[in-house]
Order: sequence, then C-alpha cells, then structure tokens
Amino acid sequence: MSERYDGSTIDLEKALVRYMVERQLSRRELLERIARVGSAAALAPIIAACTGASTPSPAASASAAPPSTGAGPTPSPSATPVPSPEAELFIFNWTDYLAEEVIESFEAKYKTKVTQSFFSNTEEAYAKLGTDGGGYDLSFPISVDVPTFIESGAIVKLDKSLLPNIKNLGTEWSDPGYDPGNAYSVPYMWWTTGVGYDSAKITDELTSSKALWDPRWAQHISMLDDFQEVFGLALIQLGYSANTDKAAELDEALVLLKQQKPLVRTYSTDTIATLTSGDVWIGHIWGADRFAIQEVNENVLYYIPEEGGVKGSDTVAVFSGAKHPIAAHLFIDHILDAENSAANTNLIYYMGPNAAAKEFIDPAILEDPTINPDQEIVDKLEELLNLAPALRDEYLKRWQELRG
Amino acid sequence: MARLRGAALVLPGVTWLVLFFVVPLAIIFVVSLGQRGAFDRVDLSSPNFNNYARAFDPIFLPTFVNSLRYAAITTILSLAIGYPIAYWISRYGGRRKALLLILVMLPFWTSYLIRTYSWMIILRDNGVLNSLLQAVGLTHEPLILMNTDVSVILGMTYGFLPFAILPLFVSIDRLDSNLLAAGRDLYASGRAVFLHVTLPLTMPGVIAASLLTFIPAIGDFVTPDLLGGPQTTTIAKNIQELFLEGRDWPYGAALGFILMVVTLGGTLVALRTLRREVVGS
Repeated sequence: MSERYDGSTIDLEKALVRYMVERQLSRRELLERIARVGSAAALAPIIAACTGASTPSPAASASAAPPSTGAGPTPSPSATPVPSPEAELFIFNWTDYLAEEVIESFEAKYKTKVTQSFFSNTEEAYAKLGTDGGGYDLSFPISVDVPTFIESGAIVKLDKSLLPNIKNLGTEWSDPGYDPGNAYSVPYMWWTTGVGYDSAKITDELTSSKALWDPRWAQHISMLDDFQEVFGLALIQLGYSANTDKAAELDEALVLLKQQKPLVRTYSTDTIATLTSGDVWIGHIWGADRFAIQEVNENVLYYIPEEGGVKGSDTVAVFSGAKHPIAAHLFIDHILDAENSAANTNLIYYMGPNAAAKEFIDPAILEDPTINPDQEIVDKLEELLNLAPALRDEYLKRWQELRG
Repeated sequence: MARLRGAALVLPGVTWLVLFFVVPLAIIFVVSLGQRGAFDRVDLSSPNFNNYARAFDPIFLPTFVNSLRYAAITTILSLAIGYPIAYWISRYGGRRKALLLILVMLPFWTSYLIRTYSWMIILRDNGVLNSLLQAVGLTHEPLILMNTDVSVILGMTYGFLPFAILPLFVSIDRLDSNLLAAGRDLYASGRAVFLHVTLPLTMPGVIAASLLTFIPAIGDFVTPDLLGGPQTTTIAKNIQELFLEGRDWPYGAALGFILMVVTLGGTLVALRTLRREVVGS
C-alpha cells in the first residue's frame, strides 16, 4: 500500500504541475481553489487525469524516471511543489542558436533529454509548426508573428510561476507591443538590419543608407530579396515609418527604389555569398550575417544607418500541442538565467533582452555599437510589423512592380 | 483477355498520371477559386473567378515576357548546340555511342543546385572566368557576367541541353543513311542533303527537343533566381512571392494555372502547325 502510494505521489505531483500549466492556473489559484472546495474536490480532476489514460506523458508513466526534487514519501501537494519536468523536450530552432553548454546544463539539472531539430527559414518552420507545434514543444517565432500564433491558438499562455527568471528582462522588453506583458512569449534575441560594405573597395566612412544609392558603386550594390526590408529601408530614409499604411508614402518609396534599381547588382537574401563573391561591395544585410561574411572577408564592415534602421527580435514560446509543457517552461526559465543568456549571446553575437546577463557578456560584444548600439540609436530602430493582408498586398504589388 | 492484360499494363502509368498530374492540377484549380481567409488559410466558402481577373495585372507582363524570352532563347540555343552534338554522336560515335550518351547525361549525377552554384563561382567578378580573362590579358577589369541576362541564359542552356540532345539523337540515329547517300547520288550538295533530307526527317526529334526544353524552361525558377539580377525576374518568381510573401495561395494558384494553360495551349498550337508543315512537305 505504502509503495503504491509513493509511486502515485510522484505521478500526482507531476500531473499537478502539468494540470496547472495546461489550465493556466497559478499555484496560488490552486491553493485558493483547494481552500474553497476542499482538497479532494480540487484535486479530483488531476487525479483522474493522472490515473486515466487520456494523455499519458512519458515522464508520468515512466516510474523509472527519478524526480529531480527527491520527493519524500509523503510530500504534501500544498507545499510549494518544485516542478518535475517530463523526461523529454523537443525544440524546433534555427541552427546554432543555443549554446551547447546551456542545453547540457539543462539536461543535467532536470534529467530531461533535449532533442533539437533545425530550420533555415521561417516559412519552412511555420509550415511545420502549424497550429499546434507539429510535435515540438518549444520554438522561436519572430516577434512580429507572435500575434498570429496567439490568435490561431498555436502558442499557450505562459505560467509565469514557472518562470522566475523573467525578472531578468530589461524594462524595455517587459511589455512589448506584439505580446503585452509577455503573456505568451518571452523575447530571446534581437538584431538589426543595416548596411555592410567592403572597406577595401569603398574607402569612405559610411553612415547613411543613401550610400546604397551611390552611382560610384553601380552594379556592386545589393538589396535584400525581402519586400518589407527593402521598403522599410526606403521608407525610413524618407523619414516615414517602415510599416506605413499610407499609399502616398509607399509610392514615394517605390520611386526612390526605382531610381536605385539600375545600380543594383542583385536582390538577394544570400548576402554571405554576394558580399564574399566580389560582385557586391555594399549591401543591405541582416546584421548577424556579417560575422559569416567577415570570416571570408575581414574588410567587410557593418553599420546601422544614421537615418534609423530595422530591428527584429525572436521570441521563445510553448506550443499548444506540447507534450512536455513543464520541461518547456523550465527550459525558457533556464535560458532566461543571466549566465545562460550571456552564454548564448557570446556564441551567436546577438544581444538578448536580458539586463542581468550584461555582466557575463564578452566585453568586446558589449562595446560593439553594431551589436549593442547606444540608446539613442536603439530609439530610432523600428520593428517590422506583421502587415494586415490588404496592406501586405499594397507592399507586394509595388515590390513586384519594382522587380518586374 | 488480351485487352484485360493491356489494361493492367497501363494501369501503373495511368495511376501515376492521375495521382501526380491530374490531382495536383485539380487542387491548384480549386484553390485558385477560393480566397485568402483568416490566418492566410484558403477559404473556399464562395468560389469565384476573381483571382483570374486580378492575375491579368499589367505588372506581371514584364516578368511573363522575361520567362518567354528566356525559354525561347534557351530552346533555340539548345537546338543549335544540341543538334550537331547529337548528329556527331549518332554518325561518328561508333562503338562509343553508349559511352558518349552517358557523358551527355553525366551532369545529372550532381544536383542541379550545386551545378548552378558552380556557375556562380565561374561567372562572378573574381571568379574563374574573369581571372582567366585578366590573366591572359584580354580584359583589365572584371566583366560583369553574374546577375545578367548572359548568366541566366547560360545557366538555363547548360541545364536544359541534355533534354534537347537525347530526343535529337534518337531521331537522327533512326535516320536511314541510304537516304543521305541517295541524296548525294542525285548531285545534292551536303548542305542541300541536310536541308532537304536530314532536317525534315529528324523534325519529330526537333519538335520533341523543343518541347522538352521550352516547357520546363518557361517555368524555371531556380536558375533566374540564383544567377539572375534585378532585370531578370520571371513569372515563376512572381508566383512564388504570391504564395510565400503575399501568403495569398488562391491568387498564386490562379496565376500558376494561367501560366500552365498558356504553356499547354501554346504547345498544342505549335505542335499542330509544326506537324502540318512536316507532314505537308
């Protein structure tokens, strides 16, 4: 009897936490509910879920998996339950986007096996993730797409009680426009789009995006093959919002881009290839690509245009079909840890939103104004929004006119 | 009984055609009647032809002309280069005919994408060709070859040439050499024999080669996208953008369906006129 009791305690505790995560219940709410209706009634659905075969998770059914908490024989569920994560976690991620040591320390700490799969572009990723995660627990949607994922029910509301490290976020990241209060997503890393140029070919010191219109470099200029980025750059140069919904401003940007077109060698997102091929001397590039470019050609410099630029950010979110929601939450909390966040930044050279991480970040990264720009520049950066379909058509129509 | 066995033999072929041609085509057509719904999903609740009206937008004209132009030039170049090669293999290949044909097909052993990337390495400003030209002293500045019409047409002709050589070879190889000898016996010059005997008799091969080159070339997306530049946008790129960037599948499907109908219609018309001419002469 007592042996059976021990076993079900472990299962019960796990089921309890999962129940809370699934129902978006905080620990306090659960305690209040227990106080209101009595523990038997409050826990009944959880016990039912635990003993029933409705959604057996590998961890809940595997009695071999030791609880990381070292639960005693009679732990009371009303004492703060340190959550026991499931034995597995499936992450769908960009390549080289998480430091190996961060994953290893998570695996060691929670006895959870992390399996990462990789994607190389968001179209591919979003197609696989669908509206429930497609079998993955965690992924890294771009912030602009978070509202769509929330609306379609693809990502779940986060249980903040499992994310104590969220306090490490800088204040400017605590209430982003795309997800007020970070209710469904946690910012992961942010980046800029700007201009890269080969200082061996172009000796001027460049600061403006107008350099991409300089006829001296005709046939050696490249622009991204991405209509929102290209129109964003032109709109910002004209002093408008990169997400304008005014047709007149878009038309003005189109005129500007048409003037540039005869000078452009190629519209390509493969800037690592174009800027190292010798064909392109100055290009509109995603800031992070410059590291790969510099590995081949160390003369390539990067700057954020003085007119302002485009910034973007990735988030991390738990998907609605996640079979390992507790592990997913704990993993998010793990990467919100200051040292872990810094380890990721030191690997990939992106700044994260983690204010506490700064003291652990390589000083060379912190001093680089193109990675960690001054607040004055940061204030001029604008995030590209997920345009409403009708507005997106307006952009795309002009883009296709430009490219035709 | 024999008829039954015949039906059983064509069954795999018919199944294949239905599954991988008719069904996808039908899906594209059905999607093209819908509209973009919530979360950019395809909404088929009120099917209509609005997307077709939208697709006849003049902004697609330049890219459509580009596609036609590249396909036509690629076809002509493939025939012009492929015919002598096929002729040579057939007439002078001797024992090595099979080996030579394998050599024609050899490039297929490597992924098309990789071969296209190698063209980028050859054609770029500090690439193989420009380095060679400058080393020899023919040029002093790198020629701009990548991201131009030249690179696109070169890449496409390179890619589609084997599709032209193979049917040309089959047709030329079947040609009875006694007919050529007869032509010469009747005092026709080599050129006259070619124009009045060889070419008309191998016309079916020429037609097959043209179709096998032109049809895939008009829808080619990879080559112009990788080797092309600002001026080389094709209709296939527009369709891809409508699907992925515009996330408007019905609109993209309509444009794709139109392209398919135009290609198919044009092919049928070309085939009929050509056949009439060949049979008539």
